[in-house]
Amino acid sequence: MKVIEANKLPGLAAALAGAGYRVVAPIRDGGEVRMVVWSPGAAIDTRAIPVNSAKDFLFPKAEIIGRCTLDGNDFRPEDVKPVAPKTVILAARPCDASAMLLLDAVFNWDYKDEFFNARRAATTIVSLVCTTADEQCFCTSVGGAPDATAGADGVLRQADGGRSFILEPLTEKGKAVAAAAGAALAEGQAKADAPVEVPVHFDAKAVTEWLGENFESPLWREVSLACLSCGACAYACPTCHCFDLQDEATRAESVRLRNWDTCGLALFTAHAGGHNPRPDQAARWRQRVMHKFSYLVERLGRLGCTGCGRCARLCPAGMAICETCREIDEARKAAVK
Amino acid sequence: MEMIDALRADAAKVLADGRAKVVIGYQARGDHRAPLFVTTADRAASLVYDDACKQNLAVYLRKPEVKLLGKAAVVASPAAMRSLVLLMSESQLTGDDALVLAVGVGEYHGVLELAQVAPLLKEKYAALAPSPELLREIEKLAAKTPEERAAFWAKQFAKCTRCYACRAACPGCYCTRCIVEKNVPQWISTAAAGHGNYAWNVIRAFHLAGRCTGCGACEAACPQGIPLMLLNVLLGQEVEKEFETKAGYDPEAKPVIGSWNPEDEEDFIK
Amino acid sequence: MTENLYQPILMRVADVRDEAPEVRTFRLQFADDADRARFFEKYRVGMFGLYGVPGAGESVFCVASPPTRQEYIECTFRRTGRVTSALADREVGQPITFRGPYGNSFPIESWRGKNILFVAGGIALPPLRSVIWNLLDRRAEFRDITILYGARTVADLVYKQELADWGARSDVRLVTTVDPGGETPDWKGQIGFVPTVLDQVAPSSAEAVALVCGPPIMIKFSLPVLTKLGFTPDHTYTTLENRMKCGLGHCGRCNVGSTYVCRDGPVFTLDQLRRMQTTDM
Repeated sequence: MKVIEANKLPGLAAALAGAGYRVVAPIRDGGEVRMVVWSPGAAIDTRAIPVNSAKDFLFPKAEIIGRCTLDGNDFRPEDVKPVAPKTVILAARPCDASAMLLLDAVFNWDYKDEFFNARRAATTIVSLVCTTADEQCFCTSVGGAPDATAGADGVLRQADGGRSFILEPLTEKGKAVAAAAGAALAEGQAKADAPVEVPVHFDAKAVTEWLGENFESPLWREVSLACLSCGACAYACPTCHCFDLQDEATRAESVRLRNWDTCGLALFTAHAGGHNPRPDQAARWRQRVMHKFSYLVERLGRLGCTGCGRCARLCPAGMAICETCREIDEARKAAVK
Repeated sequence: MEMIDALRADAAKVLADGRAKVVIGYQARGDHRAPLFVTTADRAASLVYDDACKQNLAVYLRKPEVKLLGKAAVVASPAAMRSLVLLMSESQLTGDDALVLAVGVGEYHGVLELAQVAPLLKEKYAALAPSPELLREIEKLAAKTPEERAAFWAKQFAKCTRCYACRAACPGCYCTRCIVEKNVPQWISTAAAGHGNYAWNVIRAFHLAGRCTGCGACEAACPQGIPLMLLNVLLGQEVEKEFETKAGYDPEAKPVIGSWNPEDEEDFIK
Repeated sequence: MTENLYQPILMRVADVRDEAPEVRTFRLQFADDADRARFFEKYRVGMFGLYGVPGAGESVFCVASPPTRQEYIECTFRRTGRVTSALADREVGQPITFRGPYGNSFPIESWRGKNILFVAGGIALPPLRSVIWNLLDRRAEFRDITILYGARTVADLVYKQELADWGARSDVRLVTTVDPGGETPDWKGQIGFVPTVLDQVAPSSAEAVALVCGPPIMIKFSLPVLTKLGFTPDHTYTTLENRMKCGLGHCGRCNVGSTYVCRDGPVFTLDQLRRMQTTDM
């Protein structure tokens, strides 16, 4: 098996960078760990759950998808190609890796989005078996697991009590990364550490069922009271994919940008005429929960939540989708009795 | 009696008396603190208050769904009480809109009417100052060259995702249509990048110059850890120096940006 | 080989008509004939497009002209925001961007031999106008065509010349109405709200379908009248105009419950609407 000592992970990153990969990894900077592009000297930290998700490298927060050369009242549309460097995402959490499958489905639902697809094709995801979790983690409630490999091209397993890692390729892309690593990975033996245990908080199937029948439930107003209407949850979420298109221009050219957007903001659905089909935060929080646990299940056969817990970790108002699902599950059980 | 017991007892009492229909306070969820909306006296025992309570609950007084619950009694620290006074001075809150469960520094001041808040602040918390660590950081930043400062903020603002959690968490950000949402013309780029991020964060700080009450809720809310209070406090210091006023102490105060004096000695504006 | 879904084609403004205050119709010509051919291969009445001005952005409107006229397309819009203002400022000969057609369409082939009722209010006639002309261009295939159209005031009626043309035809029954107080001294049409006039006109529902487009309040009060007249929910059609950005089912903005208006709509039967998860209708 391919083995690497824990303190040599930067060496692996350096080898892959040397082989032409843009290397993304969980890097500690001050008090925070984020998924960022590795540069020499950066400290890889596999213990903390990164603030941002790996989504950022497949579906960036702002991206140019159109360009026109302007000439007075005339203009000429230019060709815009995706920016898709060969990338390896090292030590992505399983909840980030499995989120890719949902993004694949959304961005290829009839219409195929070449910007997402080009980056997806150029990206290799090496996930990390979780040996750490916190109270916000709930992957096991939504069909995931700390050692799940869905969406991953390879997997890093912490071994020998944290002294080393085993890298196990799962796909051709994964094998290519292992090969590119060269001498950074050694042939050897190591004993994989046990994955962390993540308790199950609710029954996702039951939640989906309940949602189908409770669009008008008074629960929506109760559970959304604290929600302040921002995008902290959506932008941290590995599956949230809603966006806005915005033009910006100078005298010489205009660009059309695809920017992250979120159903949490009131203007998201407001019509030019002033009418808003989602008039209050209760309607908007309901949309968030419904979209993830009902609509996507119905339309694409997948939950729009992988249980990473970032939304709850980052919410300035203590909102937690896991908590809402638990309350729904309890409401359902109470109704059955 | 412990402070928290007194707070819980008051919360239960205002609900039982019908003086308030909802108490907006904090609950513990593990190490996190989340808002709690208590509508019946028997649930008042779930309220907590400690240093981990970073959110400024005054922000909920403007939320339509909270207003639907009826008159609120809000748990407020001195900084949050300053927000209430600011909102009064800007005609966003009037006399009997809310009650205050006033949590001081090391003591609890009981249930206050809004009119009693400013006198309490002036008497007990007139010298409320930012933390020494924060002031040291501001000094360190001030000692840098303009290029170093620009590089510092460029790195910080690059992290911004434009989630607007800072705005959502701030009681002073109550515009029904924020300038970043105005698009005829588009004043600020909405792309979470480059100049748009710079413009958004700096313009928001300017809109709070002389209005920020120093509660720190925006910085606590920022999922990206941008040190927003460095900007807000710095601008607050400038306003205090130039206009000899501090936000959130006088319900009759005129906003520094937004008021005009024909006797102004400066001639640049004439 | 995929291509950029967001790459627009070029259209040129061939004609501009002012319909009502701030409401304008553009006739648009394809800059490239291959684009024109590709468009009409897909286009059926009811579909929409994204019309744009670089630097301002794109806006969604229905295509207001029928596929029976393949030299151009037309759209009618009101100047409300950033994009529609930039569009309205375009003059004859100037270019705009276009993406489309997107969405589903009215199943007009299944209406052959049937009576067709149109009920429209205000600025919502354009989505039905393409259907009206489509049917009139193939007049022999359909039976009675009844058009009830109302606006707040005479000035707010759009397509005034076409209303006159339709009114003059013996094979169309046209009823126009304005809200009480919206009439002018020489107004010859009805005075009254659309639902009331619909009740008075009382078109037969036998072998018929109804198409209803208008402000929510008009639709809300017209539906009971249609039900009373015997139009069933599966034979009553409308179009939804939710806010959209991509038109491709990706941006997540237009969904009503699990329905994506841009993919599953914009044309829906009343029956489908009633099953949607919304508090909006």
